[in-house]
Amino acid sequence: MKIGAIAGITFKEAKRDRILYLLFFFAAVAILASRVLAILTVGDRVKIIKDVGLASISIFGVLMAVLIGTSLVYKEIDKKTIFTLLAKPLHRAEFILGKFFGLVLTLLVMTAGMSLIFLAIVYLHTFRIEWTMLVAVAYIFLELVLITAVAILFSSFSTPILSSIFSLAFYLIGHLSWGLELLIKKMQAGAGRTAAQFLYTFLPDLENFNFKTEVVHNLPIPAGIFVYSFFYGIFYTAFILGLAILVFRRRDFI
Amino acid sequence: MTDMTRKPAAARGAATSLLVLFLFATCASFMALKNKTDTIARRKVPGASIIYIPSGKFLKYATFGYSALAADLIYLWAIQYFSTPTIDDRFSHLDHIFAIISDLDPTYLDPYETGALIAQAEGHDTALAFKILDNGFAKNPTQWLLPFDAGHIAMMNLKDFDLAKKYFEKCMDLPGAPEFTRRLYANALYRKGDLETSWQTWLEIYNTASDERTKKIASNHLYQVKTAVDTGRLKEAAGRFRERFGRWPSELADLVRTGLVQALPKDLDGQDYVYDPKTGEVKAATIPWRR
Repeated sequence: MKIGAIAGITFKEAKRDRILYLLFFFAAVAILASRVLAILTVGDRVKIIKDVGLASISIFGVLMAVLIGTSLVYKEIDKKTIFTLLAKPLHRAEFILGKFFGLVLTLLVMTAGMSLIFLAIVYLHTFRIEWTMLVAVAYIFLELVLITAVAILFSSFSTPILSSIFSLAFYLIGHLSWGLELLIKKMQAGAGRTAAQFLYTFLPDLENFNFKTEVVHNLPIPAGIFVYSFFYGIFYTAFILGLAILVFRRRDFI
Repeated sequence: MTDMTRKPAAARGAATSLLVLFLFATCASFMALKNKTDTIARRKVPGASIIYIPSGKFLKYATFGYSALAADLIYLWAIQYFSTPTIDDRFSHLDHIFAIISDLDPTYLDPYETGALIAQAEGHDTALAFKILDNGFAKNPTQWLLPFDAGHIAMMNLKDFDLAKKYFEKCMDLPGAPEFTRRLYANALYRKGDLETSWQTWLEIYNTASDERTKKIASNHLYQVKTAVDTGRLKEAAGRFRERFGRWPSELADLVRTGLVQALPKDLDGQDYVYDPKTGEVKAATIPWRR
């Protein structure tokens, strides 16, 4: 109940944030501009529109999660409103979870808005609503949920600028961790390889949420990957939130 | 009072322990799921990630001054990409990828060499190998290695000795070029059939050689070139003898007696050439490399 109340307030607060609308505007422009890029190509124009559209939803969604998420907790501490909140019968975990769900709700609305524009643009070219695109969008949203948790974790002990850098680094690592797999294959068995293997398994693999290529090229997607990727996202988010709660519980605001 | 302070502390401790336990449980779960997702093979579009990479000329501006770093990264990635045999059509993008690296960092020599090697040995596209090396040499006109590699491909793989001669000629006078490049050039001339220039070049190598080994190599080649010239003339004369008398000459002296040659030449060591009256074949008494 308390989590719901804080989530509601966070959602209202995020709605008033100008940066959200600015990013939404740029996302919409990027999706619309895919039409222009499609004119420049030779061959399948719809493919370009789908690629640019899905990439825009993903990139601007991440920017929203990072730029808003990293200032959520910090703002409360900076403006001293945290004292009023924590003086009430409110657990710090509830505060963190409330902030998290509030931002997730905001991102859900924004992703839905961007997806509507995207589907409309695709519809204007194919004259059919391509529901399969929503599979990719759903997993982009799951990725955004994880990034939101990461932004809140860093926000609970660092400044917004540093938190943004850390969160974006997390995002980059998540999309480049496959490189470690190549390295492991070329390493000789031993402590170094075991350490690299552990790191590879522990570091986020955001490619598990990337179904853009499969969806755009109509490639078959193994059913198992949906389930495992979904739970992977859920457990990783829970882990990061648990870490955020642990850090926030130990923080002294005096 | 003591109880009041202890109880919340104990409760906090228990909550923290529970939270740490929760962290371990979630961590173990996502790591297990990560291993599980890795076992599921996902279909990929071969080359999908690179087809849309724009030309390096435009990409250079997008790297914000880090074009050399971008070239390094694309080169590292390219090595992995082109050594993945499961991507059937990987060589169709070879030209594009190495052109991008070249545009981003024109003085980076390794990609020209590696690109040409992949094109020639793996992609079986010799023309592309020359294109990559020519592009590299156009951008690095003082680097002997690039025309040297091209000359090597022309000589060893293509057996195009005229082309090999042209590349070795470009290479041999460049700073740092190894002295054996001139020998390769002279050999390409010989294999091409330009015996006179080959003789001149080997003679120059012989006269300017600073060590005995090079002198010996040049001497052997001079022996080979002279043998080729002399045996060629003798064979031609023997052929004309056969046209005139309907048979091969019984000995080489017959060619002098009939005026087809003025005098019988000797090899570089002063030995007579060996003649086979059954076939009209003329050859040197010694193999050049066993002198």
